[in-house]
Amino acid sequence: MLMTLQKLASLKFTLVGMILLAIGASLSYGNPAGTPVWVLIVPMIILAVNLSAAILTNPRINQQSGLLAFHISLLAMVILAAVGRLTHMDAHIELVVGSTFSHQNLLEIKSGPLHGGDIESVSFVQGPYSVQYSPGMQRGLTYSQVKIKDKQGEWQDKVVGDDRPLVIDGYRFYTTFNKGFAAVLTWAPDQGQAVTGTVNMPSYPLFEYKQDNHWTPPGDKEIKFWLQLKTEMDEKSAWVLEQSSSSGVLIVTTPTDRHEVPLGESVRLDGGRLQFSELRMWMGYRLFYDPTIQWMFFVSVAGVLGLGYYFWKKINLHPWMEGAAASTPKTQGGSSGASDDNGLSAPSVVSNAVSEGASSASADVSGVEGDTPATASPGSLSNQRLDSFAANGGKKRTVGDQS
Amino acid sequence: MNGIVSELPWLWAGLAAYFAATIIAMWGVVPRFAGVPFVKTKQHERVVMTFLVVGVLLLALAITARWIRIGHGPWISLFELLVSQLWSLGIIFALLYWRLPGLRPSAVIVLPVMWILGSWVLTLEPTASHFPATYYNSWKWVHVGLGKVFLALLLAGVGLAGVMILRRTQRGQRWFSSMPSDVVVDHLAWRFMMLALVFDSLMLIAGAVWAQDAWGRYWAWDSLETSAFLTWLFLAIGLHVRLSYRVPAWASGLIIIGIFAMAFATYFGTPYISPSAHKGMV
Repeated sequence: MLMTLQKLASLKFTLVGMILLAIGASLSYGNPAGTPVWVLIVPMIILAVNLSAAILTNPRINQQSGLLAFHISLLAMVILAAVGRLTHMDAHIELVVGSTFSHQNLLEIKSGPLHGGDIESVSFVQGPYSVQYSPGMQRGLTYSQVKIKDKQGEWQDKVVGDDRPLVIDGYRFYTTFNKGFAAVLTWAPDQGQAVTGTVNMPSYPLFEYKQDNHWTPPGDKEIKFWLQLKTEMDEKSAWVLEQSSSSGVLIVTTPTDRHEVPLGESVRLDGGRLQFSELRMWMGYRLFYDPTIQWMFFVSVAGVLGLGYYFWKKINLHPWMEGAAASTPKTQGGSSGASDDNGLSAPSVVSNAVSEGASSASADVSGVEGDTPATASPGSLSNQRLDSFAANGGKKRTVGDQS
Repeated sequence: MNGIVSELPWLWAGLAAYFAATIIAMWGVVPRFAGVPFVKTKQHERVVMTFLVVGVLLLALAITARWIRIGHGPWISLFELLVSQLWSLGIIFALLYWRLPGLRPSAVIVLPVMWILGSWVLTLEPTASHFPATYYNSWKWVHVGLGKVFLALLLAGVGLAGVMILRRTQRGQRWFSSMPSDVVVDHLAWRFMMLALVFDSLMLIAGAVWAQDAWGRYWAWDSLETSAFLTWLFLAIGLHVRLSYRVPAWASGLIIIGIFAMAFATYFGTPYISPSAHKGMV
């Protein structure tokens, strides 16, 4: 069992997993539609297995608290990402000013099979909003007013927009660039009850040139609508998009007729009377739900702090320019790495160390065995050399010089 | 472009200071001048340091002048990004240059790399950029600040990597004869890489928090995110290789340069060539 785990913990296996992940990430570049998600999932599973085995069997990892914290956090992040995918929900919704959020109106819903949030209980009312534009039609800040119920059942006003989402029960609602106008219409059929509803026009000002839509009354022929808008839109100056400064005329087209209907007016059509009751605006929200995001944040920060702690301890074992003052420049092509647990020391060193009387190699050895501090003499000697080197304006001073 | 906008004179002056630092640093490593007292006593390093600091201050003035002119910081356009990076790379390298005398000759590699950015920025129009609504987020400061430290640490590593590679030639050996052995240089270079991994990781976390606030998702494998992740992965692979195998100094240098090349492409390529980079970025 132990041998199997040790094989699974192999560093070669780690490198294979990392290279496969790099290939998978490269294939995912730009989110091409044809790339399956498995190109990322398979390497991540390989790395998760390898990492789990390494955490259990590799003393370099499991006996060093900082490195252990970092690798556990990596593993936890993979697990959290998987849990997040299984429980998430993403969707969009267009909310007309004055209307109440209902999960039944959500569009493009994508949710994990284990999504367990209580979207049915989420409720808020969309209030008026404004969007600032800079010259050149550059979209600026969005201020979207909403009413939400507090724990006492009282309605509270809140302003959201851009990077300030509305968060209710873990569901996060983000305003988007997708917003526009809606015609509130009342259809009074010749027989039966009048009904009132809204027809949302395309996003404004993105599709300013084609504010049209259509609707088919029950059992009747399609009616086409074109909204002639009057807003403060100005391509060359700063302006604000808001309902209070906007008005419009509705052009109503049936297979046989065309009518211009001002706000508040109505028109007689085949089968009934249509009234253009109100001009309102709608806001497009992006809905995001993932119960793991706070955990993901804390776990990742803890992992990096662990890594930083590990590196800090390693770096503090030796001066930054260990041997810098003393080593001769003639030493070329020294190989490095391999088995130096403190990582970046010089295991194969170095002929000049002997002549200096203070072997960086011996200092390294003290670091190789984990986090034990370097023995005083070589470490402190190196430090002295560094200090004198630095204080001397960078002039080289070897031990021999000092003597 | 009509006339000269306010930041350009400061930019030119800052680049001139960096240029002077580059020339003097190169002068300092040429064996022919090794006997000149100015070089022999390392006085030229003080001059290099002075020009670096002056360059940083002048670029700070350039950034300030532009900030006042267009109303926001250097966050958006490639011009702004390059000036900002020239400033931050300069300030962090100056700090390392001051504190770690042993790496000073590597300035002859680091400063020309910075000059790639300096030459590039001179070809760009300093047109005013639009500040997207999502950039008001405070996490932007954290994300960008950490990213600057990360790139500067990689650049310092590249300087040392270049030394290790150039020392394969006789000329390179003569140029960098005042530097410590390859073992020590390699040691220091990978310390920068270790720190770079910490700052890169923190940068990605801060970026994810910002992305969650700004675009409603913390990670979506968009082009810039994928490129940044690949950079992180290359760095992690490099560290694992370096920690686990005997790597010749020249190969160690090549690994570092490869990681830097990936980071360079992430910083200065992906956001400006990809149509699906971060929303609002271009």
